[in-house]
Amino acid sequence: MKSIFKFSLILLFAFTACAKKTPELVFSVGGAPNELDFWEEIISDFEKEKGIKVRILRQPTDSDQRRQGILIPMKAKIENPDIFLMDIAWIPQFAASNWLLPLDEYVQRDKYSLKPFWKNILDLSDTYKNNIVALPVYIDAGVLYYRKDLLKKYGFQNPPSTWSEFLKISKKIQKAEREKNSSFFAFVWQGAQYEGLICNFLEFASLDGGGFSFTGKLKINTPANIKAADFMKDLINKWKLSPPNTYTDMKEEQVRMFFQSGNALFERNWPYAWGLHQSDNSEIKGKVAIAALPYFKGGKSVSTLGGWHIGISRFSDSKDEAWAFMKYVVSKKVQKSFCLKLGWNPARKDVYSDAEILKKYPHFKDLKNVFGNASPRPAIPYYTQVSDVLQRHINSIVAGKTDSKEAFNQAEFEIKNIIERYE
Amino acid sequence: MNEEKIKNLLIVLTACFMVLFSLFPFVYMVLTSINVAPDFLAKGWNLTLENYKNVLGVESLHFLDYLKNSIIISFISSVVTVFIASLAAYAITRLEMKGKIFVLLFVLGISMFPQVSMIGYLFKIMVYFGFINAYPALIFPYIAWILPLSLWILVSYFSQIPRELDKAATIDGCSKFQILFKVLFPVALPGIFSTALLSFIFAFNEFIFALILTTDYHSRTIPVGIALFEGLHGQVPWGQIMAASTVTMLPILALTLIFQRHIVGGLTKGAVKG
Amino acid sequence: MKNFIKKFESYAFVSPLLVFVALFVLIPIIGSIWTSMFRDVTFLKMKFIFLDNYGDLLRDEGFWKSLRFTLLFIAVTVPLELIIGTAFAVVLDLKIPFRGLLRACVLVPWAIPSAISAKIWELVYNYSYGLANYILLSTGLSEAPVNWIGTDIGAFTTVVVADVWKTAPFVALLVLAGLQSVPSDLRLQAKIDRANFVQTFFLITLPLLKPVLLVSLLFRTIDSLRVFDVIYVLTHGGPGGATTSVSLYAYKYFLGGDFGYGSAISVLLFLVAFVMSVFYIKVSKFQDNL
Repeated sequence: MKSIFKFSLILLFAFTACAKKTPELVFSVGGAPNELDFWEEIISDFEKEKGIKVRILRQPTDSDQRRQGILIPMKAKIENPDIFLMDIAWIPQFAASNWLLPLDEYVQRDKYSLKPFWKNILDLSDTYKNNIVALPVYIDAGVLYYRKDLLKKYGFQNPPSTWSEFLKISKKIQKAEREKNSSFFAFVWQGAQYEGLICNFLEFASLDGGGFSFTGKLKINTPANIKAADFMKDLINKWKLSPPNTYTDMKEEQVRMFFQSGNALFERNWPYAWGLHQSDNSEIKGKVAIAALPYFKGGKSVSTLGGWHIGISRFSDSKDEAWAFMKYVVSKKVQKSFCLKLGWNPARKDVYSDAEILKKYPHFKDLKNVFGNASPRPAIPYYTQVSDVLQRHINSIVAGKTDSKEAFNQAEFEIKNIIERYE
Repeated sequence: MNEEKIKNLLIVLTACFMVLFSLFPFVYMVLTSINVAPDFLAKGWNLTLENYKNVLGVESLHFLDYLKNSIIISFISSVVTVFIASLAAYAITRLEMKGKIFVLLFVLGISMFPQVSMIGYLFKIMVYFGFINAYPALIFPYIAWILPLSLWILVSYFSQIPRELDKAATIDGCSKFQILFKVLFPVALPGIFSTALLSFIFAFNEFIFALILTTDYHSRTIPVGIALFEGLHGQVPWGQIMAASTVTMLPILALTLIFQRHIVGGLTKGAVKG
Repeated sequence: MKNFIKKFESYAFVSPLLVFVALFVLIPIIGSIWTSMFRDVTFLKMKFIFLDNYGDLLRDEGFWKSLRFTLLFIAVTVPLELIIGTAFAVVLDLKIPFRGLLRACVLVPWAIPSAISAKIWELVYNYSYGLANYILLSTGLSEAPVNWIGTDIGAFTTVVVADVWKTAPFVALLVLAGLQSVPSDLRLQAKIDRANFVQTFFLITLPLLKPVLLVSLLFRTIDSLRVFDVIYVLTHGGPGGATTSVSLYAYKYFLGGDFGYGSAISVLLFLVAFVMSVFYIKVSKFQDNL
């Protein structure tokens, strides 16, 4: 019997020993399947070029679960992952928690130029206590995809610029298309209870006084916000232009697949969907175009600034290798291939004036401006908590469960408490 | 129709309902796993084994890693648990000891605590020991968490064994350890086996500890692996998830079917009689 | 001296168990209570704030909502589990062919990780191609697909069904054990007295089952109080936080990096569970069985 006891002890220690890993560069990244495939390609090129081995940690597509995949190892101060992709909204918390390696030392050592990046994005998102802690990998801003073939078929020249035009077009086309295709909907967007809902909401809240502000004077319960949330609800409930499962199931990929299967006229999504819509197995290849999101009369088109940034863990056991990989990921060559292969918007300005890129994506000239006007989400370390409250209440409005005014009132009350806790 | 007939009919109907109730989700699971797309109900069948090939063959999905972790962690936890619990059960049923009832009740009370109440600090403890994302991070809490149940089952089994047996052994000059392992163990073997089986199933099914104390396939277990499963193609890879679930279910299904008598015995001992 | 060794010996046998339980259950609980009195947030300096977290908690509508949900969840699932479980047990107790196989079938839902069964249920309730909507549409019960996970009621139903499905078999086994200890001559007597099946059950069997049912009731209540995995996988607590259990709510705060607040929530949950287990131990009269 003693031997069994010994055996199990030995086993235990053996596994503890196994768990002690030799340093290796571990890159944690999530996203759509084709993105992950592409990351694998980039990594194998990098390995060939620099002779540094990289292991990829596949994370789920779901943004919350991706965040958890970084938060737990950071809180535990363990060495893997060494380097990871972060949503722009997480950086304030990660930086304030002291999880991100300050990069100024490396930038100066290598005389690395930060010029190619948008200065406002570096300042707004990637700098903490005067130190660069992350670099942008790609920039996201919400855009409207539309079926140019359908618009043409029903006699519309241009995509709608205001929501009232949008409604007119949508109602007409949906009604006609329904006759052949019972699962056709005019508009798909991200309405599930998650961060994407906030991004969508901010774009609907395009009137003066829309959007949120938590530092200084609180801006939450405003007429513009109420109008935006009601409009989102009406899209589903009243006009039935968006699928009834919008507020439960619809995240980026669900929306993209819905649109890509040819069952929708308009789609709100990030630019990544472009490359997939135009791929060979897409039902709508060659029938899609991009426009700015519509706005309410008296407002202007708003596009939420999103995007993913790359940062190095302070607890990494391969910091130099991680820095080398980081530089590689934001190099012009790789950024260009992101753009060509995935249709992403690169974070480097020089890619936007590249001849090859402009030939393929003539609209890139204008995108520069979209990014200039894209509105960032509030950069506060407790953004997650605040966003959680907002997601809950906005989702509840969109689902038709609570009155919008009441919901924003309640949200404001809860957020006041949160601010009190964390300021 | 007489009463007997109605009664029989009722019984047969309930029995059918029970089988249907218990098994239809699994049938659906298997069907989804062998179809190309999850919309096979409406759009017609399109059989494939691709999902199984991917789940078992594609390394970056790590399904086999999760399964391996689960089996190793549950196995070690269950063996150690049964060993420790049988020591304690022996003392409680056979030795003089003050506060036996206190130990039993204390342990019973502890088994009712919500896992979420421990997880925050457990996380810190595991960080301190450097166990995050390693097997011990799960094995230790699992042992502590399953011990109460094992103890109760084993106490109940041991107390059924006639005391004359170990008295005889004592006269023969056996030590306490020898009595436990050479005399009681063989007699209580079915009970010990059921306890081990139950412990294994409990550890295998645990979710929240594994969700927070592991970060990747080095030690992530199968329930968390499947909950966070990311496939190769398409958004929610239902076919692959269901293929993975089917493969995971097979060992559990086999254990349950073969040893249902033991499991039922153990469960009812642990929870009803005490 | 000999006596002393004898005493010491018995504790030595129990000590590994106590050490494990103390290290990995008690200390974490005490640690959680300790942490709950701090501002323990990843991005702020650690600070002792005594009961401030609890003060915030009492004002936190999200917390109350999660508590209300959890209690409602218990109120619905536990009785359903008891009823279905008892019905199953009665059938399993009869001498019918394939009894063993039937018992094994019933066991399977219990033995499968709930994360996996919740995934299966998620697919069953899928809006576009799930089994539930397929049945509704093809039998004509509903004209349009039902957005199960989308409405409060729908999401609640899905979670309840998944949980009852998993745990009713467990209750069935407990009740079965109780049934088998009901003396059969009592039931035989009833048969001679020409009481019918139903009468026998309600007049004789059920009263004798009372202790078992009470134990199952409390046990299931305490277990449902900490419900997490089914909800985490099936609804993520949505829509609009309608199915967020207290455990899930605490978890969300851990995930947001606020360990102090998360701990405070979990400590409150622990207190409720603690009171219930004391009650459980009292009612089930475990001492008498020893």
